[in-house]
Amino acid sequence: MKIFSESHKTVFVVDHCPYMAESCRQHVEFDMLVKNRTQGIIPLAPISKSLWTCSVESSMEYCRIMYDIFPFKKLVNFIVSDSGAHVLNSWTQEDQNLQELMAALAAVGPPNPRADPECCSILHGLVAAVETLCKITEYQHEARTLLMENAERVGNRGRIICITNAKSDSHVRMLEDCVQETIHEHNKLAANSDHLMQIQKCELVLIHTYPVGEDSLVSDRSKKELSPVLTSEVHSVRAGRHLATKLNILVQQHFDLASTTITNIPMKEEQHANTSANYDVELLHHKDAHVDFLKSGDSHLGGGSREGSFKETITLKWCTPRTNNIVFSSISELHYCTGAYRISPVDVNSRPSSCLTNFLLNGRSVLLEQPRKSGSKVISHMLSSHGGEIFLHVLSSSRSILEDPPSISEGCGGRVTDYRITVVPLASVIVKESLTEEDVLNCQKTIYNLVDMERKNDPLPISTVGTRGKGPKRDEQYRIMWNELETLVRAHINNSEKHQRVLECLMACRSKPPEEEERKKRGRKREDKEDKSEKAVKDYEQEKSWQDSERLKGILERGKEELAEAEIIKDSPDSPEPPNKKPLVEMDETPQVEKSKGPVSLLSLWSNRINTANSRKHQEFAGRLNSVNNRAELYQHLKEENGMETTENGKASRQ
Amino acid sequence: PESLCRRTVSGDGHGEALSNMDDYDKTCLESALVGVCNIVQQEWGGAIPCQVVLVTDGCLGIGRGSLRHSLATQNQRSESNRFPLPFPFPSKLYIMCMANLEELQSTDSLECLERLIDLNNGEGQIFTIDGPLCLKNVQSMFGKLIDLAYTPFHAVLKCGHLTADVQVFPRPEPFVVDEEIDPIPKVINTDLEIVGFIDIADISSPPVLSRHLVLPIALNKEGDEVGTGITDDNEDENSANQIAGKIPNFCVLLHGSLKVEGMVAIVQLGPEWHGMLYSQADSKKKSNLMMSLFEPGPEPLPWLGKMAQLGPISDAKENPYGEDDNKSPFPLQPKNKRSYAQNVTVWIKPSGLQTDVQKILRNARKLPEKTQTFYKELNRLRKAALAFGFLDLLKGVADMLERECTLLPETAHPDAAFQLTHAAQQLKLASTGTSEYAAYDQNITPLHTDFSGSSTERI
Repeated sequence: MKIFSESHKTVFVVDHCPYMAESCRQHVEFDMLVKNRTQGIIPLAPISKSLWTCSVESSMEYCRIMYDIFPFKKLVNFIVSDSGAHVLNSWTQEDQNLQELMAALAAVGPPNPRADPECCSILHGLVAAVETLCKITEYQHEARTLLMENAERVGNRGRIICITNAKSDSHVRMLEDCVQETIHEHNKLAANSDHLMQIQKCELVLIHTYPVGEDSLVSDRSKKELSPVLTSEVHSVRAGRHLATKLNILVQQHFDLASTTITNIPMKEEQHANTSANYDVELLHHKDAHVDFLKSGDSHLGGGSREGSFKETITLKWCTPRTNNIVFSSISELHYCTGAYRISPVDVNSRPSSCLTNFLLNGRSVLLEQPRKSGSKVISHMLSSHGGEIFLHVLSSSRSILEDPPSISEGCGGRVTDYRITVVPLASVIVKESLTEEDVLNCQKTIYNLVDMERKNDPLPISTVGTRGKGPKRDEQYRIMWNELETLVRAHINNSEKHQRVLECLMACRSKPPEEEERKKRGRKREDKEDKSEKAVKDYEQEKSWQDSERLKGILERGKEELAEAEIIKDSPDSPEPPNKKPLVEMDETPQVEKSKGPVSLLSLWSNRINTANSRKHQEFAGRLNSVNNRAELYQHLKEENGMETTENGKASRQ
Repeated sequence: PESLCRRTVSGDGHGEALSNMDDYDKTCLESALVGVCNIVQQEWGGAIPCQVVLVTDGCLGIGRGSLRHSLATQNQRSESNRFPLPFPFPSKLYIMCMANLEELQSTDSLECLERLIDLNNGEGQIFTIDGPLCLKNVQSMFGKLIDLAYTPFHAVLKCGHLTADVQVFPRPEPFVVDEEIDPIPKVINTDLEIVGFIDIADISSPPVLSRHLVLPIALNKEGDEVGTGITDDNEDENSANQIAGKIPNFCVLLHGSLKVEGMVAIVQLGPEWHGMLYSQADSKKKSNLMMSLFEPGPEPLPWLGKMAQLGPISDAKENPYGEDDNKSPFPLQPKNKRSYAQNVTVWIKPSGLQTDVQKILRNARKLPEKTQTFYKELNRLRKAALAFGFLDLLKGVADMLERECTLLPETAHPDAAFQLTHAAQQLKLASTGTSEYAAYDQNITPLHTDFSGSSTERI
């Protein structure tokens, strides 16, 4: 791929001389009388476009397609030529859009048929085109600055598309000579300039256009090298829709585009809302979206385009999307996509095209199926919009080389299910000779963390490698841990006063107030909301966990399907469901509990830390502390006084 | 005139042998390459890189079908019998010669084989035997191929303090962004640093260059691979793999977290080069940590914007996902809308023009209720006609509106006639093309009328 190929810079030079005001002699009926009102009324006479109008709208269509598919790095400079050259825009990215060009063209207006033809010439425009090709674009400038001593690698090539009405083949020859000479001169100028670049390669595309029904005075000529810098081709085209078709073919050639026809798109009829018919929509995009067809020579897939413009189109079949695509996109869909290419509809304003594009712009994705002779179903592409831009995604449909890989649970660490933050920071920091304030803070945090874990009766992340049976009881584990930690910290207290502070913190935490002991015991019964995510990392048997998460997946999948089915019924194509980002939460109570058994995420580990830190800053509300499922039982003491259920907990909270 | 030589050609989909061709009694390298070409395309398509290993004794055949003959005629092919090189898929052609360099140089064999590599766009290499032809030397030649083409890619996956040694499979291929301004192929780092996490819905099926399994590996102190932790049933319970399975590994933590949260991790592969790590489950309920590579560049996915500008939620003034996690800052909206999203005017087909005129007419008949839409459509047509220099159309539509005015039923609101006449007049003025009335940015505004009072005010 080359960023600075000929298609980086395109100069349109459109003839604005008096003869371009001539009619193209192709009539357009614009007064289509509606039924019931036609009696006695004669429709208005059809009108016809001028050569100028045909040229301008065809070049605008060229630009429309180009900007849709390459909104960046493919630039157009528009020049109109009469008694002088009018450059309508610059290479800057801000100038690169249809609105700017349309406004500038409106300011120029149609050619004046009464102007003096002797003063007017397309040559002014061609000279200006060469001049403008020497001007550096912001992308070229950026690349040159970035490459520094290799700045000469940045190429300067371009294309001039000239739409004119030539008098003869020798007139055409004269135009070509003029361009060649001008390039020669301007390259000399550019050689001595910092903000101009020499033209390395210029493709001149001369389009001679003439009214329908007239004989062409100019013959077609395919691309020919006029000099090492300049190639030229001549197209002799009737005006009207023929010119538009020609420019459509050219934009495809110039930007390596290909065509895909989406077939079988179900759509409600405008007149009869109850019936639905199937439509086809033709899209253009970079040809790499067909890479699999091109290489395997599978071009039999497509027929000719409906325009009869000799270009090939590949037909892909619409697969009506399942509604869960959007609802569950946050958990399910990550397609293996080997390319995504912007599209542009060939017939942008037609009803089928706008129905399709609006559907996609509303956030839906559509899978596309490759029709195969064998009848097997192969999904090869996906249409999807991202922020107001529609992309054709290429999905991998050939065999994967990663077939049947071992599951992660079978590999390193696969048997371990209890992944959590440990005392690592403290252990690695305390051995240092000197500590920073931050180090001390980190150590204190670690200690608080351990206190907190003990309070909640979390299991310690002790490696069970090589141990048999259940090992020491949890209380015992904590006692051993605190002892070891104290020994470790004590071993380093002589290093500095800061080491001493860590020990002080540790000792303060070890001598827990009796209340702490009580809370610890209560903690076992609590299952409040705060705790749920923390629950995720604790209290489950190692060997169970992976099966659990698979079971969870099953449950989720089932829930998903149920929900999806409900969606299908109430869904209508015009009112897509807003993406439901977290459907898991509202689904069911049971998966909630199951969910907590899955491996915990880094995110929740981190938020737990933050929550714990915050919770230390204030006294927790007693009711929440004692709550079960976020519900606190009121008047517990009454029960006890009635002698029903005298628990240690109750007493503790009253004393 | 036949040469009897045994030749086996095997294509290779990154380590998986494709096929072993039958032995023939005549060397015909071209048809062998055509065969490889077909098999690979049928099986793997055109996008998966393949290593093709050609084992030959260096004899190139005789007469028609010999490599010399093939090369001599390769420029005179039709589309149907195209020369198989370059392969129509990313490939490396490794030619293993069962002969030493001197033997090959004594004829033009080496030259011909080098031509093959050249034809494959230089992708590949020729291996010859050092010294006499014997098993040991052949093994050493293949050893070199293994070192070159089949060395596993080892990397360290990092996320803050957490790290894991991993093997990335298949080996990530070097990538050339722009052959002209940056011709040096980019190679991914062996330190793979996780720089952030993002919802699957936000990253939204991004296009990737390639995709790879990320397998945690256990290394001993010398850095040699001890095992992948994968156990065979008949293995000793305390084998290295068994132990590795029980040592916590960051990959397992990461994989589980991504899976549960429905997120991917963004990983830095090199300067301005990123990829994503995610959990992928195959149909058999097995799940794996995978890595996909994005195209190098500051903005590989337009809907995420510049990678350098992504940051943690906590950096934002307000949580971009909302307090209830009910919105998302992605996808980013492009500055300019695409043509299909902005109601552009295209009159290349008569139907396009007719539809736009009809819209005006339909609204004209519902004046004054549809005054706003009527003028909106009218101005849209006016703008396009001015840009295209299609002034005759403005005149035509003006005539049409005047006619509509004469056709108004008796019951019509008096405002309808005023608006139609006003609009027709303005269009006619614009159709003169004089700058005063034909300014692109100027819209025709509704005539201000007031029918509420007893006296009708006419302007």
